[in-house]
Amino acid sequence: MWLLHLLPTSLILWIVNIAMIAGLAGILISYFIRFIPFINIYRTPIQIISIIVFCSGIYWYGGYSTEMIWRDEVAKLEEQVKESEAKSKKVNTVIKKVYLDRVKVVKQDVVVIQEKIREVSNTIDRDCKVSPEAVNLLNQAARRKPVVEVEPLKKDDKQ
Amino acid sequence: MKRLLILLLLLAGCSTTVPVKRTFPEVPKELLTRCPELKEVPEGTEKLSELLSVVADNYGQYKECQISVELWNEWYQEQKKVFDSVK
Repeated sequence: MWLLHLLPTSLILWIVNIAMIAGLAGILISYFIRFIPFINIYRTPIQIISIIVFCSGIYWYGGYSTEMIWRDEVAKLEEQVKESEAKSKKVNTVIKKVYLDRVKVVKQDVVVIQEKIREVSNTIDRDCKVSPEAVNLLNQAARRKPVVEVEPLKKDDKQ
Repeated sequence: MKRLLILLLLLAGCSTTVPVKRTFPEVPKELLTRCPELKEVPEGTEKLSELLSVVADNYGQYKECQISVELWNEWYQEQKKVFDSVK
């Protein structure tokens, strides 16, 4: 049936219809031919050939119908995939915009806070001196990393 | 004639499957960045304002990572919806 992919739809339908009509006509002719003298000796071969042609036509028609159903399904699916790809791109654009907007706000907030810290630094620093232990503890907390190590994925796990 | 009818019923065309290619959606580059390490307070710092400054920076970094993780989740959920809509 892969051959059907190479032929245009109209040509396939044309061939299939011709085969079915020719086969059916041959079967009918072979039925009436027995009443005609001299020619009726060809009845059996005509009947056999007509049946083969008709059956081939029916078979091809089945193949053609299935082929058309699949082509239709594929076209629908391709359309859906195209739509989903467009939606997917839109989602990406929105997510990117939201990310950039939110990060911008966070960065601005940090700048504002840093500015405020600078403004009140004299007041803060006047009454408080940070001990080195406090700095060490804070840095330790910042350096802390998870102790659980995960083994790299094995070949079997990847599947 | 009976044989012919039986034969007709038995005959059926073969079907062919045509694969439809789907590509996995690309994640926005912004979400692929790693969260940076937290900043440390320089050794010997005695001023609370300097310590506060580092802490504020770290909070900012955390917020950025939080946004990134939230949007990763959102991205996945939205893309899954879009993916599942194709049947």
